[in-house]
Amino acid sequence: MTNDVSTAVEVDLDMIAEQVWSAFLNGGEEETLFADTDSGAGVELAASVAMVGAYEGHLVVSCSHKASRDVASVLFAMEPDEVTPDDVGDALGELANVLGGNVKSVLPSPSQLSLPRVSATAHERWPGTVEVCRTVVRWRDEPYVVTLLSGGPGGSHNAQEA
Amino acid sequence: MKILVADDSRVMRQIVIRTLRQAGFDDHEIVEAPDGAAAKDSVASENPDLVLSDWNMPNMSGIELLHALRASGNTVPFAFVTSECSDEMIAKAEAGGALFLISKPFTAETFRDRLSDILG
Repeated sequence: MTNDVSTAVEVDLDMIAEQVWSAFLNGGEEETLFADTDSGAGVELAASVAMVGAYEGHLVVSCSHKASRDVASVLFAMEPDEVTPDDVGDALGELANVLGGNVKSVLPSPSQLSLPRVSATAHERWPGTVEVCRTVVRWRDEPYVVTLLSGGPGGSHNAQEA
Repeated sequence: MKILVADDSRVMRQIVIRTLRQAGFDDHEIVEAPDGAAAKDSVASENPDLVLSDWNMPNMSGIELLHALRASGNTVPFAFVTSECSDEMIAKAEAGGALFLISKPFTAETFRDRLSDILG
């Protein structure tokens, strides 16, 4: 099934991102800016979940390596220099999973959510998709770009070697 | 009491356990499982008093785990902690015998509200 991408979907990514950051990532000390401007810089990793069914698309979170270590550090409650690549993959993937689950709940149903996938943005493509909306969260002075894509082959992420 | 936390994400299991402690449930024994199949084995071997399970997991999903437990006659109190909380999933969970769903992201206050009756 393919979405009619001309069909508008109403997703408040700002609100969903704010709920997730506030619950899991705000220690009360760090300033977090929601709906920040997209500088287009510093996105090296992408964590994504696919939605298959009445809505087909992907929810993607992109950020820098440093930002991904910051997320893993806070979620695992450990120092950034103790964080392993496995920790980063698990933490960033779960961030995408929680964001994607909340986004899915306001999209046409029924649909299924895939397990999260994390890879270098240079190796990740989502062919046949269009961007529905995006927001940028700036946390600890690092941007996190949250993007909802529509369309593409249902259920399969398409990682391509650069 | 013994609580089984089933989630394929290590970090989410850690967050759930941390939030249980923040909610004041810090004197309970915690056991962990990385997927539904492991959780099913753990229920048999550990005999927990409560299962807190993710929905979307490899090997065996949370709802498949619940169905397998109930089909085998196991009536352990079971609740989902999941990022997806649609009406359809709530209906499936309740029909399967789950107590309720806690949606991610959650707070310690949410855990206190939903779990106090069970954990005291």
